[in-house]
Amino acid sequence: MLRIARNLYEYRELVAELTRKDITVRYKQAYLGIAWAVLRPLALMLIFTLVKSFVGIDSGSIPYPILTFAALMPWVFFQDATSEGIASVVRNSALVRKIYFPREIFPLTAVTTKLVEFGISAFILAGLMVWYQMAPTIHIVWVPLIILYTLLVSMTIALVGAAINVSYRDIGAALPIILSLLMYASPVIYPLQLVKDKLLTQQAAGEWSDLFYTLYTLNPLAGIIDSFQNVVLRGQPPDFSSMLPGMVMTVILLPLSYRFFKSEEAYFADVI
Amino acid sequence: MSIIEVNHVSKEYRLGTLTNLKDSVKNMARRLRRQAVLQRTAFKALDDMDFSIDQGEVVGIIGNNGAGKSTLLKLLANVTTPSSGSIAVRGKVAPLIEVGAGLIPDLTGRENISLNATILGISRKDIARKFDEIVSFSELEDFIDTPIKRYSSGMKIRLAFAIATSVDAEILIIDEVLAVGDLAFQRKCFERMESLIKHSGNTVLIVSHNIRQIERMCSRVLLLDQGKVAADGLPLEVADLFYRRSNEIITANHKKAMQDKVHKYSSGEIELLTVDLINEQGQISDSLSSGGTLKVRVKFKVNQVLQRPEIVVGTHTTDFFYLSASSTALIEDRPDLDIGTHEVEYIVPSFPLVAGTYCVRFAIFDQHQRKVFTGETLKIFTVLPSSTDIRDAPMRRLYLPTQWLLDGVPHSSPVAAPAEIAGS
Repeated sequence: MLRIARNLYEYRELVAELTRKDITVRYKQAYLGIAWAVLRPLALMLIFTLVKSFVGIDSGSIPYPILTFAALMPWVFFQDATSEGIASVVRNSALVRKIYFPREIFPLTAVTTKLVEFGISAFILAGLMVWYQMAPTIHIVWVPLIILYTLLVSMTIALVGAAINVSYRDIGAALPIILSLLMYASPVIYPLQLVKDKLLTQQAAGEWSDLFYTLYTLNPLAGIIDSFQNVVLRGQPPDFSSMLPGMVMTVILLPLSYRFFKSEEAYFADVI
Repeated sequence: MSIIEVNHVSKEYRLGTLTNLKDSVKNMARRLRRQAVLQRTAFKALDDMDFSIDQGEVVGIIGNNGAGKSTLLKLLANVTTPSSGSIAVRGKVAPLIEVGAGLIPDLTGRENISLNATILGISRKDIARKFDEIVSFSELEDFIDTPIKRYSSGMKIRLAFAIATSVDAEILIIDEVLAVGDLAFQRKCFERMESLIKHSGNTVLIVSHNIRQIERMCSRVLLLDQGKVAADGLPLEVADLFYRRSNEIITANHKKAMQDKVHKYSSGEIELLTVDLINEQGQISDSLSSGGTLKVRVKFKVNQVLQRPEIVVGTHTTDFFYLSASSTALIEDRPDLDIGTHEVEYIVPSFPLVAGTYCVRFAIFDQHQRKVFTGETLKIFTVLPSSTDIRDAPMRRLYLPTQWLLDGVPHSSPVAAPAEIAGS
């Protein structure tokens, strides 16, 4: 673990440089530039708010638009980071074939690039908070840790996905479908509180209710989104019970995913 | 202590495309039923290669296309791993395999310099220090803030070369592409490469098809052939061997191509039997060395008596450029040809042509200049290069003994030892 970290530290300049490249290239010939990064969560927020006015979702004491924007921020970060991470190795095939450096730098760069866009969305969130006259509390210090956790979740999927994508491009095609399904299985449109109420309080699924809730929170995004809303909007510490199943899964899967990536790495240049 | 060790390394590639779903499912079914699985045929790019390179050696790698040169470099640069065997590289490797691999079209020259240099492992501090030098070497001062997709191809390559050669590494791996751009820039590239090689004391591996360049810069040359090290030794010897081998291949190709280009016309009065090349030992051969004796022996059968016929023997190149021709018309007392078999020998004591493939033509005219027989490409033969040939100037057709006066002091080109004819 320490060795991996040291290795990555050695290549920090490369990661920084590649990240800068990704961002520059993406927005180079776009007049609105990096503003595009913000427009997507903003547009989704407006759509969800519109939908909400028809179906009625109980957002508790928090205004729905800002609640869903706070859910969209980690979600969009996760979604983009994962799909970019998976595509990263194939996208850089010219480099893969010519020059060696640890290949995990590609997914890592792709994922960290998305941090920049996340940071820009944070300004919008701050603007919304001013608009709704909400003040952040001390619990906001949890944000970096929550984001780091999200980043690790993305890396878990990106590493194994990128390695498979080198031989089988099916992953790239399947991913958008899987991710859009996953969004509905995550508390993006609705708050986690609704799921909790249904399953834990009302025991809606009878004796299976607790198991279902655990299964639901096995999706790390459930805990991540809820905790992000907690620390930023509700002024509460993260709800660890909703994060635990997802965390356990990530802790188990990340090393496996990394090991798989490293074992496949040697063949990248041959099959890409 | 050797800095690079290659221990019995093989590298296999599977031919054909990646398996699709159908084949994968079929194979899985076979595996379940314990039947033999369909395998794609393997291609050995490297076959049990074994050598080591010491600190500070400048090693040239030569070989025909497909001999395994690039695969070897990729393995040394750790871009891919061997199928069997092991490679130990002690030190930082700077691979200049195909310059420009990391250039991004959308970024400006300036941005590309810092990106590409970082990819090649130059630290940010060093990049800042070397930036001006890179820009001035690539002659791109005015365009450095323009996205490189607007560059001409020459500009791009100049930039890539300048970045690539600013790497400090213990081991430098250079692929052939490096002579790029217009003549002036090529000269600059070579000078930079030579200074990089000579003054750094680094270990350098160069792959090139430019044998003269390899010969000049390297202290040792590896000749690869079909994934194996065919020769390993002093540049002059290995380059000579390679030169000769390539020549044989060229000759063989030429001969094959010329086989169906035989043009013959006969009035019926004579019938050609054989056309042979006779070497200095009096044996039938199909090659001679530059400056050696050319002896052509033609046998033919005469069906009608020809009075004082004119016989012409000559040579031409494979593209039908007539090189030489001599006629018996100059001989006043030439004999008549009676019915029966005749033999004519045409001897040139010193055939002054450079190495290559040549052909014999033959013609007979009667005393009134009427065509009796003409034929081209009747015999294909090779002139072998002499041992000093590769060091002589290129672009020439004639091989002539030369004398020089250098500041009034007479010198003559070394007398070339004739090439052994054994190999052909």
